Amino acid sequence: MSATRPQLPAEFVAAHKRRRMIDAMAALCAEQGYEATKIADVVRRAHVARKTLYDNFSGKEDLFLAAFDTTLADAEAEIAEACDAIDADEWEARTEAGLRALLGFVAAHPEAAALAFVEAPAATPTSAARYEAALEGFIARLRESAPPGPVRPVTLEEALVGGAVWIVQRQVRRGAAADARDLLPELAEFVVSPYRGVGKR
Amino acid sequence: MDRLPRGRHGLSPEFVARNQRDRLIAALILTLADVGYQKTTVSMIGRRAAVSKSDFYKHFDSKDSCFFAAYDFAVERMRAAVVDACAAAGSSEWAVRVQAGVVALLSLLAEEPAVAAIVLAEGLRAGRGIYDRYQGAVESFVPLLREGAPDGPGGEPVPPATDEAAVGGVASLLSRRVTAGETADLTALVPDVVEFVLTPHLGTEAARRITSAG
Repeated sequence: MSATRPQLPAEFVAAHKRRRMIDAMAALCAEQGYEATKIADVVRRAHVARKTLYDNFSGKEDLFLAAFDTTLADAEAEIAEACDAIDADEWEARTEAGLRALLGFVAAHPEAAALAFVEAPAATPTSAARYEAALEGFIARLRESAPPGPVRPVTLEEALVGGAVWIVQRQVRRGAAADARDLLPELAEFVVSPYRGVGKR
Repeated sequence: MDRLPRGRHGLSPEFVARNQRDRLIAALILTLADVGYQKTTVSMIGRRAAVSKSDFYKHFDSKDSCFFAAYDFAVERMRAAVVDACAAAGSSEWAVRVQAGVVALLSLLAEEPAVAAIVLAEGLRAGRGIYDRYQGAVESFVPLLREGAPDGPGGEPVPPATDEAAVGGVASLLSRRVTAGETADLTALVPDVVEFVLTPHLGTEAARRITSAG
């Protein structure tokens, strides 16, 4: 290599640029919402050429969906890791660890959380569908991991995930995502208690 | 056309006939249920309400302002149904009042699918602005649930966040069903919903007993 300046591998640079555009989209959505955000804003914020953006994404919605997918994948990876660190038969502890990981993710990434929890449900029909699919995934995860026990209402997991997401969403909308971890005790109790009988530990 | 076409919208003819503004609100709710928010236009609303476009703009300055008025109207209708049912069950114990409120709410939604659609499904796709209203609407049911509610089964007070999460969870469940086109079957969810909101205060077993006693 003859260059005097150390060079980063091309794939690394490309991946980094892609990430910058995604982060810029999240930051702009958090500030002004999806609708008001323009491609020109993203390009300026991410310090990339307009052509670079269109080499990676077909347009604003495509970039937004990529940002949503990336956020969801990152959050799910952290949740799975936290759950897997606890023994499978420790159901309550696993659920609490998963919730703690989710709230930690929200606190560490307020802009991505705003994109996923606040913008995605209403931004476009496709993003609304992906948001619904993500909820579906959390519902299935809770249902599969639930401990054996008496017959429970089939809608229980839908209502629990919906309720937990509702509280997180409200926190993010209030601009208090950074304090999301404060929600843990009450949310954990809310999600776990129907399975064991409330108030019994 | 001096009144809205007949149909399974469940809005009373008296309401529809009352006045232009109310007719426009009703027409928006029905049009929204038929074609969705994006495709709903001021002309469609006006035609359905038998109100001219220029008269429309005497009442509302845009489709959105008519939409917000319609949203508030639909939410108020839901709230009133719950409040009335709870009042009618007045002296009964808390759990019975809650059950009466849930029955009234789900019955109203099942009978007036257009109201269910604007509040819980189609309206939410109208963009960011509506979420403030949706949030306010959902939160307005929390004090109704907590009024006269007993402490938790362990004797400690139930934190407000628990009831907020329970109400938000019910809203999410109903929204999913309405979006899936299952509005007419919502009353089948009464036992599940009642058990869900009673559980934090009574414990699972007592909540289940009340639900299965009907």
